[in-house]
Amino acid sequence: MSGAGFENLKALIVEDNAHMRSLLRALLNAIGIKDVSEATNGQIAIQILRERKSDLVLTDLAMKPMDGLEFTRYVRNHDHSPNPFVPIIMISGHTEKYRVEAARDAGVTEFLAKPITAHNLFARIGEIVERPRAFVRCDNYFGPDRRRHQNDDYTGPWRRKDDFQTTEAR
Amino acid sequence: MPKPGKSKTVQIIQPDAYPQMLSKPRAARALHTLRAPETAAKAQVAMEASMPPMRAAILQYVEEMERAGSDMTRLFEAAHEIRGFAETAGMVTTGRIAEVLCRYMDDIMRFGRTLDTTIVALHVTAIARAARAEDDNVRTGQTVAAELAALVAKRLSESE
Repeated sequence: MSGAGFENLKALIVEDNAHMRSLLRALLNAIGIKDVSEATNGQIAIQILRERKSDLVLTDLAMKPMDGLEFTRYVRNHDHSPNPFVPIIMISGHTEKYRVEAARDAGVTEFLAKPITAHNLFARIGEIVERPRAFVRCDNYFGPDRRRHQNDDYTGPWRRKDDFQTTEAR
Repeated sequence: MPKPGKSKTVQIIQPDAYPQMLSKPRAARALHTLRAPETAAKAQVAMEASMPPMRAAILQYVEEMERAGSDMTRLFEAAHEIRGFAETAGMVTTGRIAEVLCRYMDDIMRFGRTLDTTIVALHVTAIARAARAEDDNVRTGQTVAAELAALVAKRLSESE
């Protein structure tokens, strides 16, 4: 049974640390994802995304010359993005609140703080599978709905009763 | 009424309106896989296999951090790598002290303050000792980590 469900998926790991790439690949293999590509920064990842379909992206935050935030923004917003809806899990040791918020605002689907554990990685993948998020498109953002919890500082789109011109796509 | 300055046109695209990673039947099987004991066992094997090379890499980053001297950018990059996967490599104390150092340096540099080189040096020494300790003595290390964290918090509050 192990591996069932994930066997046809293609994943992309974007991480500049070889040890972390190796571990992430092994963990993806453990759930049955065998077709895994690797990139050491956002620029290379974009090339790979153009050349082959990817169903899931795991990306680090801090990389050179293109970091995970810029990469995510490209995937979500660029006219030539191969798949603006692809699930992106950002995995980073940069867990300061402002950095996590920057990741959210770039359009990541999930954020996973290092040090990683198999349990936490699988929980994030489970979230994507079990509770896929609606996407929001507005003037200054495109990506997964950022409102999982009420946030008084929220500056994103408005969807309440008195919101203006909210449209739903089905 | 919408708040002034907020976007007035918002499109919500529900999950069934864009391509999903998995079809619903596959998603059910995938969730079962994620929660299966055999998956956890495979993951555990993968984690354990990754530890020896990671520990070796951590020691290299420690040397890199020590060699960085007054080059704080280089020092921070090495410390950041250590905090990123020392705990995954089973070097809990090393990772936690590196975490304290990175948070201190990040806060100081973000707000344009001056780093206290004594605090940095204390952390570098503590990280190196923890990483090289054969048994990575957790209790002693945690005490050191807690004391360093308290020192950093005090210095940060003084510099505000």
